[in-house]
Amino acid sequence: MSATRTVRLVWFVTWFNVRMLLASEFFILTTFITPLIFASLAFLLFESGGRQGGQTLMYVALGTGMMGVWSTTLFGCGGAIAWQRWEGTLELLVNAPSRYDFILAGQTMGAVVLGFYGIVATLVWGVVLFGMPLEATFPLILPLSLFAAVVSLGSLGMLIATTFVLYRHANALGNLLEYPIWLIAGLLVPIATLPVWVRPLSWLLAPTWGMEAIRGAATGTEPPLLAIAMCFGLAVVYYVLARVMLVVVLDKARRDATLALQ
Amino acid sequence: MSYGMLFNWARPSIYIPTLIGGPTFQLLFFAALGSYATDRSPAYFAIGNAVQVSALAGVFGMTMAIANERWFGTLPALLASPADRAALFAGRFLPFLLNGLLVSLYAFVLGVVFLGVRLEPAGIAAAGLALLATVFSCTAIGSLQGAISLRLRDGLFGANLIMMGVLLFCGVNVPVEELPGWMQVISNALPFTHGLAAIRQAADGAGLSQVGGLIAIEVLIGIVYALLAFGLFSFLERSARRNATLDVR
Repeated sequence: MSATRTVRLVWFVTWFNVRMLLASEFFILTTFITPLIFASLAFLLFESGGRQGGQTLMYVALGTGMMGVWSTTLFGCGGAIAWQRWEGTLELLVNAPSRYDFILAGQTMGAVVLGFYGIVATLVWGVVLFGMPLEATFPLILPLSLFAAVVSLGSLGMLIATTFVLYRHANALGNLLEYPIWLIAGLLVPIATLPVWVRPLSWLLAPTWGMEAIRGAATGTEPPLLAIAMCFGLAVVYYVLARVMLVVVLDKARRDATLALQ
Repeated sequence: MSYGMLFNWARPSIYIPTLIGGPTFQLLFFAALGSYATDRSPAYFAIGNAVQVSALAGVFGMTMAIANERWFGTLPALLASPADRAALFAGRFLPFLLNGLLVSLYAFVLGVVFLGVRLEPAGIAAAGLALLATVFSCTAIGSLQGAISLRLRDGLFGANLIMMGVLLFCGVNVPVEELPGWMQVISNALPFTHGLAAIRQAADGAGLSQVGGLIAIEVLIGIVYALLAFGLFSFLERSARRNATLDVR
């Protein structure tokens, strides 16, 4: 399969999945409404603590936006393979001439891309309701930071999709993993304030570096090159792990004849 | 029976991650965020969220208990039966009330062990009564959402909104008196606000004589929501019979 066809396939599935998710009330809530509610809550909390400066508002807006991205990634990717099973398309996709991991990559990327709307929404929310100044210290690096975050979260989404499928109730795992990642990825609470043993866990997570890359470009004093490099590095690691998991899971499903079973 | 059949989360593989794991991390998250963003102690946020997590059982549970009758195709049979509607409603109500209490008590224990929550012995009885009243009113708004869900494609959308509304409006993390005026008006009409205020005061040692008024308001709010839910359910039943839409999804 040529590189052009691969890119076209991933792009098509990404766009298709964005449209599919837009038809779901749950994802409308997770992507469009939840980040705004958490942004309001966080703005009020920081205001209550007497911290209302532009930098604080930007910190909160980006953090709550990334919380929305994580939720959409978690729920959108966690059930990705299971949904294909329910819809009866998994067997067809696995047996199609196109590589299934590219299809899954497009699907998880769709969830992540939709999730990134959350950051736009919380920024606009901050500007309109809380008078947040909209400025970035490294505006030219910001698009690269966003791209790195999307790629790393998309790869993590693939890993989530291929591991959650082993658990029958993927949504329950989603309910479990929303808050802890918000916490240990330092989206609203700096990692430095968490116990020391938590920090290595934070370093393994794409949201940590994605947030660092975006915040660094928006409010940092130096270009967030390390964070951007970590996003791409982690994306490769996640993709390799996801690919291995996918081969194991699909092989097991074929051997046990459970590919289409719910 | 309705609890086991209609509550999708009533199995360990979902119950434990959602109603034990979820609240655990919610408490830790808001305790860390709140104490970082403000000067308040983690215990303040632990108490607020320990009460709020009862909504997972009360709001989501009641929504499922009513709306799932339609999705599972049992609503026509249920409504064709001569069973007393008030008894049907109460039968659905009680297990979720107990479940909400259980989730909330678990979260309180977590707060006491890990987040520095301290309850003055003099206020424990009042705090317990206020918690019961709060979980009751929370289950009542859940039953209203359940009744509304009989007409919606996805009832859990509204249940999620209620959950987040409570987090934002009811003094769970930000004291009600620090919210903008228009938000305080909404706060006073929602469950949790008065009950949670009573629990916070009782935790500091206030007795029933001091927080009785708040508990009474919380119970009253719960009764209003329960009556609205029952009225809406009855109205939708009549409307569905008249328009032959009982089983339309």
